[in-house]
Amino acid sequence: MRLPPFQYLEPTNMEEALSIIGTHKDTVKIMAGGTDLLNRMKLRLIEPAFVMNIGRLRNMDGIDIGDTETVIGSNARLKEIADAPLIHKRFRAIAEAAFQVASPTITNMATVGGNLLQNTRCRYYDQSGMVLNGLERCHKRGGTVCFAVKGSKRCFSVYQGDLAPALIAFDARCVLEKKGSTRTVSITELFTGNGVTPFVMEAEELLTKIILPNPEGIYSSAYRKLRLRGSIDYPLASAAVFISVKNGRKFTPCRVVIGATGAAPRVIDGESYEADMEGIAKKAYDHAEGVDNLLMPGAYRRKMVSVVVKRAIQAALDGIKEGM
Amino acid sequence: MNEMKKTAITLNVNNEIFDIVTFPNQTLLEVLRDHLHLTGTKESCGEGACGSCTVLLNGVPVRSCLTLAIAAQGKEITTIEGLSKGEKLHPVQEAFVNHHAIQCGFCSPGMILTAYALLKENPNPTEAEIRRAISGNVCRCTGYAKIVEAIKSLAEEGR
Repeated sequence: MRLPPFQYLEPTNMEEALSIIGTHKDTVKIMAGGTDLLNRMKLRLIEPAFVMNIGRLRNMDGIDIGDTETVIGSNARLKEIADAPLIHKRFRAIAEAAFQVASPTITNMATVGGNLLQNTRCRYYDQSGMVLNGLERCHKRGGTVCFAVKGSKRCFSVYQGDLAPALIAFDARCVLEKKGSTRTVSITELFTGNGVTPFVMEAEELLTKIILPNPEGIYSSAYRKLRLRGSIDYPLASAAVFISVKNGRKFTPCRVVIGATGAAPRVIDGESYEADMEGIAKKAYDHAEGVDNLLMPGAYRRKMVSVVVKRAIQAALDGIKEGM
Repeated sequence: MNEMKKTAITLNVNNEIFDIVTFPNQTLLEVLRDHLHLTGTKESCGEGACGSCTVLLNGVPVRSCLTLAIAAQGKEITTIEGLSKGEKLHPVQEAFVNHHAIQCGFCSPGMILTAYALLKENPNPTEAEIRRAISGNVCRCTGYAKIVEAIKSLAEEGR
């Protein structure tokens, strides 16, 4: 499929990049790896007047592991994250999530920022113009109907990013820059929860880095997902888990974040003690939206959320046992 | 319809410099096939799922259907045509032939380039590493066993 026409911009420094998005606002789309953006453009879901390639902004690259926090540039490739020994050691769920996004040919290109800021998806939206032209406009396309939940007054499209649940499990924040100002937002707060406009970002803002506080003490984490093809597919249900052991107690505070169950990842706190695993899995089930708008039936995906939650908790518990 | 102007771009493909005038919305795949007539690189799904359009950018396998040609400037692009030396096949290509790792051949350019990049980075990969590396290259004919065998043979030979 051919790409629609656009003007191409390639800033070489941050000042120039911020100035471009400050000027063009909604008419410019930012391209990092291109794996998500170009597909959306090929489907004509978006037809931006300008495409700005941020691939040459060197200060958005790399991973910097400091004493108290770790900073990941939003242009860091997913393969770099999945392969980095220190990310694997300290932030295993994030490395696992990056690894599970897709095969290396994709993760060689795709970036952290692009993965985090991917749009919500729905099988009644992510289609070519040929299909969509025959359908009434849904909420996501500026209309008033929902094909996934008949009669619904809101959009049920699903956020299917892999990294976000893992980043939230580690309390990550992200830096949003625009001309003249910078703000830091927790990844949880980055999401609106609204499928039509999933992020709180302003049109002039650029996501430049992710900040991870380095966890202390004994802890472990894991990420598990359900998908059809291991080499490519978006999660149909996913869970990231962070577990830490405080004061040698057997009961350990646990943060469970589920993904692909609504327009934003959802945080479910609980106790990770094996006996309560069913309780947390039940909570995950209760928090998940089981809507028939992705590849597999909503009811099945909802059941599988509790399964991937248990798998992730078990993997994190095993990680703690290995480390102890 | 958005406005768009043709632009002059310079690409380094298989160590040869090409000056091309093209639209910014042309993918690297389109430029390789339609402008440079390097038709070894195949288009299949066009959405990054199948891997038949795989080329190397600075030695790293990427999807040329999801890469803008204009954004590939300044990088070393290697296509399947860049692997053999004239009529002499590259050892990875030879291994695919010798192990019957080719049937219809549509996935082969991408598969071979992915295998070549893997062996450059990791000359002695395990079977799991081979399978992971080629997991983004879909083959409808061979069932992958012969392809894995071909790559393994190179690992064993240390080539």
